[in-house]
Amino acid sequence: MKRWGLMVLAVVALGGLGWRWAPGPATPPFPADLGSVEVVAKLVEVPPGAVFQRELYHYATILRYEVVSCRRGGLMPGTLIHVAHYDPWKPRAEAGDARVGALGGTVRSFVAGDRHRLALVSPLDEHYMGGLVDKYFGQHAGVTYWALRTDAE
Amino acid sequence: MANRFTLLGLLGFACLAAAATPAEVATLATEVRSLGWVAYSARSPRGDWEIFAMRPDGSDVRNLTNSPETEDFYPLFSRDGRQLLYRSMPRGQTVSGNDYGRQGRLMLARANGTEAKALGGDGEWPWATWSPDGRQVLTLQPKGFAIVELATKQVIRTFPRGGFYQQPAWSPDGTAVVGVSNGFDTGWSIARLELATLRANAVSVADCCTPDWSASGDRVVFSRRRPHGGENGGYGWTELWQAQPDGQGATLVYAEVGRHLYGGHVSPDGRYVLFTGNLREDGDPANQGAPMGLLRMSDTPMIAEHAELRKVYPLAKSGPALILPAGHEPCWTHSPAPGLPR
Repeated sequence: MKRWGLMVLAVVALGGLGWRWAPGPATPPFPADLGSVEVVAKLVEVPPGAVFQRELYHYATILRYEVVSCRRGGLMPGTLIHVAHYDPWKPRAEAGDARVGALGGTVRSFVAGDRHRLALVSPLDEHYMGGLVDKYFGQHAGVTYWALRTDAE
Repeated sequence: MANRFTLLGLLGFACLAAAATPAEVATLATEVRSLGWVAYSARSPRGDWEIFAMRPDGSDVRNLTNSPETEDFYPLFSRDGRQLLYRSMPRGQTVSGNDYGRQGRLMLARANGTEAKALGGDGEWPWATWSPDGRQVLTLQPKGFAIVELATKQVIRTFPRGGFYQQPAWSPDGTAVVGVSNGFDTGWSIARLELATLRANAVSVADCCTPDWSASGDRVVFSRRRPHGGENGGYGWTELWQAQPDGQGATLVYAEVGRHLYGGHVSPDGRYVLFTGNLREDGDPANQGAPMGLLRMSDTPMIAEHAELRKVYPLAKSGPALILPAGHEPCWTHSPAPGLPR
């Protein structure tokens, strides 16, 4: 009887390990030529009211990042940039739609301090025409980027 | 479910508007009955969206498009009342509260809906709004504004949109455009763009939409969400406001608790205002919609009587409001509309 019990335990344990080791859905590799700028950057903060779930409206929110390293686009480490993320309450892999086209990434939610690998384009007006939440309004000038891909780094 | 909400809305609206006597409401209906026609979009008994016309008191409703194979919406009479723009897309597609101005094809018809023809393909001529003389339209797309001559379909001017992104309306004198803009404050502002200088100014900032001009061009009417403490599931309620085009003199037009007020449209003589009342924040175009309404500008600022609202607007009036058929985006013409009775 004890032997049967041990066997059942072993099967359960192996099954559990198998479940843990089962490969998840493959993450598409980060494209080498997506957008005009590619950076690794730290999300400085998520201002109150910048990200909210609203089923009835699509919107983009502007978040502030500090550049850590730049692979394309000539941005210097330490530079503060402002990036518009579409429907920011959704995981990035689920944010794209017919309105804005393909978006993607492995980031599921925006957490202050996280590092993201970002593929970006600008100017924003040429890539996005819709509601915008800009909690930094009046505090930044110059380029606002549109995020095409946002991976956790 | 949608029907139930609509019924609740109707009952709620009837109760809220009950501060005015039936005689006052009847007087208002008589006053406006012969003042031209109102075009609007609504679901037909078949379930598809059609363009309808009604007398301003809600009587004599007639289906102008009568095309069960398409969803027809967003009607705009030219200022002389002779022509009608609207958008049309295949049956079964959902009208979007965000993007209705760029869905489907832009259609041009006589005021009574006859001789309709498409002006372009799917998504083209987005957010088209009439020039004062009815010979041009102004469109809004990601690459900017464009003014297009209707007779030749030639683009005669383009200019950057500068953050404007939906619901543009060309002023009666042709010198300016109002629309919803990202260029002022944190989001959803109403702004005016002067066409000669391309200078823009805010009319009202934050949580505003569906702007339109008074016929004289000295006021802009728009929807504005009242700052709230999280009621109505965190959405609050959207009210009808007006301001001068430079943003000065902003005042309440009409507020309710229980419906969002959108699509404000001032009558051609400036004496009345039409609006859409909706239970859902986005105007609920995916469902049945809710009754439109009409009231006198001279009765504003006005509220549908409610204790909490009275605290916010202690000096607001309580006049009569007409309850009109369910519909969206009403547009009023006083001019003789070809094919429609005088």
